Order: sequence, then C-alpha cells, then structure tokens
Amino acid sequence: MTENHPFNLDSIDRQIAFIESILFVSKEPVEPEKIMNYLNCKNIGDFEKLISRMEAVYLDDGRGILLKRSGGGLQLVTKPEIHEHLKDFFTIKTSSKLTIPSLETLSIVAYRQPVTIAEISDLRSVNSIGPVKSLLQKKLIRISGRKKVPGLPLLYSSTHEFLLYFGLNDLSELPSLEELTEMFEEKEQPSLFKKNNQE
Amino acid sequence: MNETEIYQVQTESFEGPLDLLLYLIRKNKMNILDIKISEITSEYLYYLQNCQGINPSQEGDFLMTASTLIYIKSRSLLPRAGSSQEESPEDKLIHTLIEYDKIQKISKLLREMENDTLLLWKREEISEHFENKEFDIEEVSTFQLAEIFLNVIKKREKEDYLYLESKNYSIEHKIEEILALVESNQYMNFFEYTDSLDSIEEILVSFFALLEMIKQHLVVAIQKKIFDSISVWKKGPESQLQ
Repeated sequence: MTENHPFNLDSIDRQIAFIESILFVSKEPVEPEKIMNYLNCKNIGDFEKLISRMEAVYLDDGRGILLKRSGGGLQLVTKPEIHEHLKDFFTIKTSSKLTIPSLETLSIVAYRQPVTIAEISDLRSVNSIGPVKSLLQKKLIRISGRKKVPGLPLLYSSTHEFLLYFGLNDLSELPSLEELTEMFEEKEQPSLFKKNNQE
Repeated sequence: MNETEIYQVQTESFEGPLDLLLYLIRKNKMNILDIKISEITSEYLYYLQNCQGINPSQEGDFLMTASTLIYIKSRSLLPRAGSSQEESPEDKLIHTLIEYDKIQKISKLLREMENDTLLLWKREEISEHFENKEFDIEEVSTFQLAEIFLNVIKKREKEDYLYLESKNYSIEHKIEEILALVESNQYMNFFEYTDSLDSIEEILVSFFALLEMIKQHLVVAIQKKIFDSISVWKKGPESQLQ
C-alpha cells in the first residue's frame, strides 16, 4: 500500500522519519507490530535495526527527546537531564508522586495478583481500602474478578497504566523476590533503566 | 531516653504497625528471625503511648499488633504444654514481618522507578499538570452522584450556619430588641419594622422572634387578613385589643 504515496518509504532514513512522525503525534506508546505491518517489515531483526538507528540519532546532544519502550510500545519522551529546565519553564512546582500506603498496596498487587483487599490489609496489618480506592481512580489497578471464597470478595490486578507509570514493558521486568533481596543486600542502586540507557 | 533520641523518634512517621516494628528491630540491630519479643514489646508500647509518628486514624491497627505482641510475650512466660501442630503466634508474626519487609523493598524499588519515569516527559504531560482533573470525563454511578450531591448540600449547610453566626442575629437578641421597641412605642407595625432591616436573614430571625414572643405570651400580634401588616402589642393587663 505504500508504493502509491509520493513519499515512498523505501529508504531506511525515510522509514525512520515515518516512525518518528507516528510517535510524535501519538499520546500513548505505539505497538511495534502496528508499524511493522504498515512498513511490510516481516523480520523483527530488521525492525530492531531501524529502532537502534533511531535511538542513536537521539543520543546526539542537539536532541531533546529520546525513544523509550514502555508498556511494550514505543514512545518519544524528553531527556531526563532537561527535566528541571522544563519544570522551570512551565512553572510546575512539584510532580505529584504516589503516597507510601499506595506504593505498598501496589507492591502487593504487582507481586501477588490477583489479590483481595483483605489480603492486602493483612499483609500490611493496616486497613487498605483507602489506597485501593485511590489506585483504582488512578487506573493503576483494576478489578479483575471475584475470589471463590465466602463473600466473593473482589480481586485486584495491575493495569497497563501501571506498566506505563513505572516505565515497564511487562511485569516480568520486575525483579523476582530473591533478586530483590540481593539487590538491597548488595546496596546497589537497582535500576531497570540501565538496560535501556545502554542501548 | 536522652534528648537526641526523643528528637530522632519524633521525626519518624510510621505507615503502620509493621513499619514501626521493623524500625525497632533495625534500631536494636536484631535479626527478624530472632526477635527479642519482650524488649520490642515494651518499646512498641512506649511509642504507642506517646503517639509518636502514629497516624491517629490507624490507631486500631497499631493496637491489634500490640495485643499480638503482649500475647506472645505472655505465652513465652508460661510453660509450654508440649509442642502443638499449630503455627505459633511468634512464627506467624515473624512470617508477617518478613513479608512486610519484602513489600517495603518493592515499594522502594517502585519509588525509584517512579522518580526515573517522572524525569521523562511524555506528550500530554503539560496538560495533565495544568488541567484541572475535574474536567476529565469519568463514568460515575448514580450512587456516586448522589454522594457528591449530598456532600455539596452538606457544605452549603455549613456555609449558611457560619453566615448566620457571623452576622449574629440571634432570636434572643431580637426578642429583647422588639420588646424594647414595643414597650417604648406601646405598639409596633411589624412590616414597617422589617422594612428597615438589611437582610432577609434578619427579617426571618425577627419573625421567629415574634413567634417565640407570642408563644411566651410576651406580646399579642394581630393580622387582619392574609399578607396584611402585623400589629404587635405588649401583652399585659393594660394592653388593648382592637
């Protein structure tokens, strides 16, 4: 379908330009498969090469954005170094962060899903209806069913927005509980972004 | 406890009883698997008594754990009647603490990831910051709507109450004022009186005062026909009725 267009997408540069334009206008991360389909790119290796070339372009100091993989999709975001200047320019004082009760609740949902409020409250030894409600509102968790126990309590699971919020591609990117213990024992800064930054 | 210790204590805020327990275990350099229950219990209770870093709304949760600690402590003082098959409360507490320790670690990790992603601005970021969230179209249930409506009404009620109080129109006060007027003039045209008042509130309060005075047999009021003016006299042996 591409050959009828005046701007043919045969060259790698043009393909990169096209991907850039898609990501520029997209609010949400774009699935690579969608782009591959349009470009008639059958080989994931070829596509990865395209993406690596794009990423290399953004490494240039003269660029303010970079290519990020989030929630399994591709997205253009600003470079982290520019953050403070952006905040100043747009006079944004604070970026709102999750509260500790919310973070604890999310931790439980992420690792134990699907999970009920009673189970969350039990693990935290604190009534957790509040944080569950606020996380539902933020769409970071969702109701995923009912547990087949007396009372049929609601079960909660993490959402796609959860992945996006924490910059994950999928849940398997979260370290296992064993890895987690090692991480904190070695006093190493655990960062899941190392992988992306090195690319 | 010396002063610096107390100061240090007050800067801590605990997310829940387990957070406090883990803090005490670390502070005393204990191993989670080998907690000296009696030491921890007395320190835990000290914090609870002094409400240090404890969110009052979670007090019940803190008390629940306190009762578990005291139970474990008292059990350890009693001779054991053989080994039971059940999980002992110590084991259960230790298990809970280990699990909570993991949750705290995950939370820390998530916080770091949150901090990292907050540095990367996406499209829509600006509008998210500037737009009032209220403009987001979200599906709400009838019950939620009813709840919101009730809240609005409640708020308004409070406002009205404060408004009246700030203006200081009390019925008692009005009674005195009207009585004084009636006494000095022998007679009062209530409509003429209310015309001189500034606000509907004051007129309403005056009317209530009038009703109260009639009830208390302090005055006599007559209205010849509906919407006609109300004439007020002081009630007494000398009052004349038309």
